[in-house]
Amino acid sequence: MDAATAPHRIPPEMPQYGEENHIFELMQNMLEQLLIHQPEDPIPFMIQHLHRDNDNVPRIVILGPPASGKTTIAMWLCKHLNSSLLTLENLILNEFSYTATEARRLYLQRKTVPSALLVQLIQERLAEEDCIKQGWILDGIPETREQALRIQTLGITPRHVIVLSAPDTVLIERNLGKRIDPQTGEIYHTTFDWPPESEIQNRLMVPEDISELETAQKLLEYHRNIIRVIPSYPKILKVISADQPCVDVFYQALTYVQSNHRTNAPFTPRVLLLGPVGSGKSLQAALLAQKYRLVNVCCGQLLKEAVADRTTFGKLIQPFFEKEMAVPDSLLMKVLSQRLDQQDCIQKGWVLHGVPRDLDQAHLLNSLGYNPNRVFFLNVPFDSIMERLTLRRIDPVTGERYHLMYKPPPTMEIQARLLQNPKDAEEQVKLKMDLFYRNSADLEQLYGSAITLNGDQDPYTVFEYIESGIINPLPKKIP
Amino acid sequence: METSSRELQAAEYLEKHQIKELVSYLTSALLFFRPEKPKEYLISLLERLRIAKVTGVAFPFFMDNSNIVAMFEMMDSSGRGTISFVQYKEALKTLGLCTEDEDLQDDGHKITLDKFKEEVNKRMKEICEKTKGKDSESYQTAAGLLLLR
Repeated sequence: MDAATAPHRIPPEMPQYGEENHIFELMQNMLEQLLIHQPEDPIPFMIQHLHRDNDNVPRIVILGPPASGKTTIAMWLCKHLNSSLLTLENLILNEFSYTATEARRLYLQRKTVPSALLVQLIQERLAEEDCIKQGWILDGIPETREQALRIQTLGITPRHVIVLSAPDTVLIERNLGKRIDPQTGEIYHTTFDWPPESEIQNRLMVPEDISELETAQKLLEYHRNIIRVIPSYPKILKVISADQPCVDVFYQALTYVQSNHRTNAPFTPRVLLLGPVGSGKSLQAALLAQKYRLVNVCCGQLLKEAVADRTTFGKLIQPFFEKEMAVPDSLLMKVLSQRLDQQDCIQKGWVLHGVPRDLDQAHLLNSLGYNPNRVFFLNVPFDSIMERLTLRRIDPVTGERYHLMYKPPPTMEIQARLLQNPKDAEEQVKLKMDLFYRNSADLEQLYGSAITLNGDQDPYTVFEYIESGIINPLPKKIP
Repeated sequence: METSSRELQAAEYLEKHQIKELVSYLTSALLFFRPEKPKEYLISLLERLRIAKVTGVAFPFFMDNSNIVAMFEMMDSSGRGTISFVQYKEALKTLGLCTEDEDLQDDGHKITLDKFKEEVNKRMKEICEKTKGKDSESYQTAAGLLLLR
């Protein structure tokens, strides 16, 4: 039981299970709710929280200056995500609440609602069933720091905050064209968002307070307040430029809202790099291994090492090497298992490349339990691959590797004696590429959550893409 | 850096209800049993805990008699049949059966398997007695350490 002397050997099924079911995030959310509400009786509270099961519902706040299109974006997001929309107007219109009637009276008198009352209204509304089950979107609230703090003290925290921004001149001009449909409450624009149906066109009204002067005043007040609201939501905020077509803004907002934030969950990367020969898999694997201390497992390399070391496996593999035939899958898997079961692979994680080549190998890998948690496809067009591979040369005297385009030899003398690896000849490369592309469709189907990258860029750019793919949580597939 | 009063209050709350131990126990159970539906499994565990607290019934946990024997054998690597006092104290601490400052008597003899089992059982029983009351707040000690009879 001396924990200090014997290192813990955690069976790899545990971290895999934890990652797949997001156990860390589940526990973290539960703990957060416990600390926010601090109930006298934690266990029934936890049971209730688990029954509610609303960790992943949308909780969005959309802020922005007048005429930036907040309400439009909020309404579209609502329809798409099937959540409830909360704006100042529909909060006060609630007929069943005493607070709402009070707020209505004050609004009619002074055109604003005091923060305390507003926040109480929000709290009441958010406690309702539909907000709990399906999430909520707050449009234009909190406007001031006071409101933001009050909401925070009640324990209401959004998961995503979107701030729309655009230059003031654009907004003032845009506001002049604003029109409202009195029946549905939707906002249209004379230039940018004109409804196609003539019946809607006929009933559109011009809202009051859209003159230039009024918009400018509202903008001043907005700028004064927003600067103090933004620091309240440090890591969940995203600024989207509203100076672009509505649909673009909407798509940016939608992708952001559907992405998860990075968590503190422990994560051992098990990366699989797939791509045709010459796409840069070995290079990326080496970079990853160096930076993140993962174990670089190159299938071809493993086999060659086994043969060179003349291990038991090596002796079995050697005849295949001599005849230039592919090593059979069963043997391959045994060699791989031996490497991947070692303690350093389990603890540090691995980067695998060179395997699987086809669906059978992939299924064998899965059945042995080596499931990668990030899969990347490196796409490189045929011409680039030809360029990369057919111009590779090696200097027989020094052993230095050159590339006639990317790393030419310094002197003519060296260039004269360069040799080419027969595997780099054009026909060989073509054969291998065809082999890959025949199987790639099946592999893409098997690894549904794989990330496809453009491999036709300089290595460090590709590396950055791979890094962000590993570090950020996997994007949720839109059903 | 001064800890604000809310932070201190939160730490106090965690301490009072032994939330850390509870969460640790739940997470270990999840990772050990790896159920298909984690949320349902957690709900079932919590329900059992709640009932155990209210009725004082023994709550099945990881540890049972064979575990105690296994633990003893792990510590007694040379198979002599006894463990040293230091190991014994560490083991009790690991099981949560004695606190850091508790002063156990070292009677000079080594601890045998029987003495170890006896001591563990005795302490478990104490805790059972303590947590039978409805206003006790130590869920974790109740849940975590009751033996399967």
